[in-house]
Amino acid sequence: MKRPFAVVTDSTADLPDEWRDRYGIQVVPLKVLFGSETFKDRVDMTDAQFFERLAGSSKLPTTSAPSPGEFAEVYRRLAKDYESCISIHIGAQLSATAEAARIGAQSVDGFQVAVIDSETVTMPMAFLCKVAAESPSLDEATAAVKERIPKARVLALLDTLRYLEMGGRLSKAQAVIGTMLDLKPLLLVKDREIKPVDRVRTRARAIGRMVEFFRGELPVEQVAVMHAQAPDEAEEIASRLRGELSGQEVTIGRIGCVLGTHTGPRALGVVYLRR
Amino acid sequence: MDGSLFKQALLGSLSWLAANQEEVNRLNVFPVPDGDTGTNMLLTLQSAVEDIRESQAPEISKIARLASHGSLMGARGNSGVILSQIFRGFARAVEGKSSLNPTELAGAFEEAANAAYRAVNRPTEGTILTVAREAGRAATAAASAPDATAPSVIAAAAGGARAAVLKTPSQLQILRDAGVVDAGGFGLQLILEGMLKSIEETEAPAVPATQPSKAAQVTMDLPEGGWGYCTEFLIEGQNLDLERIRTQIEALGNSVMVVGEPELLKVHVHTDDPTRVIALAGGHGKLLKLNVGDMSTQHRRILESESGGPSSAPRANGVGLVAVVAGKGLVDIFKALGVDAIVEGGQTLNPSTQDMLRAVDAVPYDEVILLPNNSNVILAAKQVGGLTSKTVHLIETHSVPQGVAAVVAFNPERSAVDNIAAMTVEAERVQTIEVTHAVRDTRSNGLKVKKGDVIGLINEKLEFAGGDYAEVVNKALGKLGPDGYELVTVYRGEGASDEELQHLESAIRSSYPGLDVEVQQGGQQHYPFILSVE
Repeated sequence: MKRPFAVVTDSTADLPDEWRDRYGIQVVPLKVLFGSETFKDRVDMTDAQFFERLAGSSKLPTTSAPSPGEFAEVYRRLAKDYESCISIHIGAQLSATAEAARIGAQSVDGFQVAVIDSETVTMPMAFLCKVAAESPSLDEATAAVKERIPKARVLALLDTLRYLEMGGRLSKAQAVIGTMLDLKPLLLVKDREIKPVDRVRTRARAIGRMVEFFRGELPVEQVAVMHAQAPDEAEEIASRLRGELSGQEVTIGRIGCVLGTHTGPRALGVVYLRR
Repeated sequence: MDGSLFKQALLGSLSWLAANQEEVNRLNVFPVPDGDTGTNMLLTLQSAVEDIRESQAPEISKIARLASHGSLMGARGNSGVILSQIFRGFARAVEGKSSLNPTELAGAFEEAANAAYRAVNRPTEGTILTVAREAGRAATAAASAPDATAPSVIAAAAGGARAAVLKTPSQLQILRDAGVVDAGGFGLQLILEGMLKSIEETEAPAVPATQPSKAAQVTMDLPEGGWGYCTEFLIEGQNLDLERIRTQIEALGNSVMVVGEPELLKVHVHTDDPTRVIALAGGHGKLLKLNVGDMSTQHRRILESESGGPSSAPRANGVGLVAVVAGKGLVDIFKALGVDAIVEGGQTLNPSTQDMLRAVDAVPYDEVILLPNNSNVILAAKQVGGLTSKTVHLIETHSVPQGVAAVVAFNPERSAVDNIAAMTVEAERVQTIEVTHAVRDTRSNGLKVKKGDVIGLINEKLEFAGGDYAEVVNKALGKLGPDGYELVTVYRGEGASDEELQHLESAIRSSYPGLDVEVQQGGQQHYPFILSVE
């Protein structure tokens, strides 16, 4: 007897291993390309290996979405044990992944795939996966996820805007927030947009502003602190966030290779679903 | 004393102040190269006198009002702004009067001083304010004499001013330390003395008939963008109806200003069709000092300075940014941070109210945040709001680092009110260290300084003298307590060599390894290094 539905996401969800194993979530990797070498995110290369290679690389890597064929393969395999799946992906404004999933799903007959454009990136996607996995049916999972998409926020502190600009993910008008002076931009991913929230001269001040901003967003359903090779600062932010919350869990997550290509090292994020 | 005598007196004061400008400049209390009081007062007075040169009005009220308006537009530096308020008070006191008897003249001097006191938030004794008040009192005392005349009243005012100037060191510690009298007060004394001289020199108050110059030939290029022309002129005529002319001109453009008297009006308008304005105004009288500037060029230049280029989308919150700054590198930094228009000026060249007004009017937003970035510019910047139909928010930044901190905190997605709050907080958080050379021997803040010494100022206060740049900066950082800070930004001035920069950088890094050091090319004059500590 087949189980009712599976949960699929992609590697930009920065899904903790523990959640992946607990809920049996399938993760489809995006790819990082250093010149002609291709690495599957979090499969061929860990985040630590990636940032080490990034530091020693003169040319910036590029990233690419999984192909529709790769999605079709995953769905076909799942069709053996499941009647359907919900496939939750990085925002379509940031990547072609969700579109590839949609096309891939069309080539798998007799298996229902609900492809979801999460409009966001990193652990809010993981939160959505968790919500879906805890739902009793595909319809209820889809409804619960869609209801939460508008509430997903990623508040990011980049150490430099260089990587985001080179990756073409930041419009030129927005790029003005980080020129000449070494500014620390605080960005908010919300409603399919990347908006500058603030620009600050020092990291300590920027971290203070993140906590302040988060305070204004309470209450939240789920929250995590993301980091790219900055575990101490992430731990500091998490403990400050815990001070703002009464006993709610604050997960610490690591930014993967694909997202790391666009954030660069030392990026920090406070990510959450608003209530 | 009637209009023509007053005009003559003012022209006399201008030439007397011009002759003694350098002496006033030398009275700078702080041994730092900054906006010279004599120059600022002279430029303000020049602007006051400019419009009245053309006027033949016999009434003192009309001459006084032109002088008041002119000084307000041209006000530079703190002493210049206070001088403009003195003119304003005088003009109010003589409103509706064609000539003044000695008592009325003395009363007008007193009222002028009162107006200046009212214009300043925290009046300080031992400054131009005290001198103005004492001049007024002396004038009033002289006016009560039975044989009082206008010259005797002015002579008493000048004498009162002189006595008050000599007393200023006893009222202000900084003057006493520096061994100087107050420069602004001395400037006012010279103005009164100049008035007296020119009146005494002329037996009969016959004014040489100035031949009004013909309207200048106007050549114009048509604007591409239809942004318009900044059009300015004077109308000379009989019974000119100010209100009616204003209404007519308002129909042809914006930022309209019409001031003056039935015999002489000053008109300022931004219009797409200057020929119509000129034709209309020409129907009322003779046009003088016609000046038409193509604002589309100005506007283009401003747009191009934005990194997004001419096609960049208008800012979401509809708030423009104008900053006063000098030095190529600093100008670039402010532009890159999103400032729409730069008014060249600062430490040594204080821009006038009108310079800032032009920039505010030129940015394509109705709400503008203005950053003076220098203490000597703040007062002149304060006047801008009253002279434009735009809403002007002044954030009182005292230094370049404060200005940078404020602009960094600006967010185009946020309302003006929220931005001002955030920008003010950030500006106040940053500490400023300025390094320069003493321009003369002095004592200040308990320090003995020799001309040429390296001196270090923390938040505009002289704290260290002697040694080299690195030594002074390290002492200043030590005084601030480096533990409370993360980042030092060094703005390198025109006068600093590569070697000096490297030496300074490595000195900071080795003495304070906990601080990040960022170097920017500021290109400012006179200050080899300006540092922001935050």
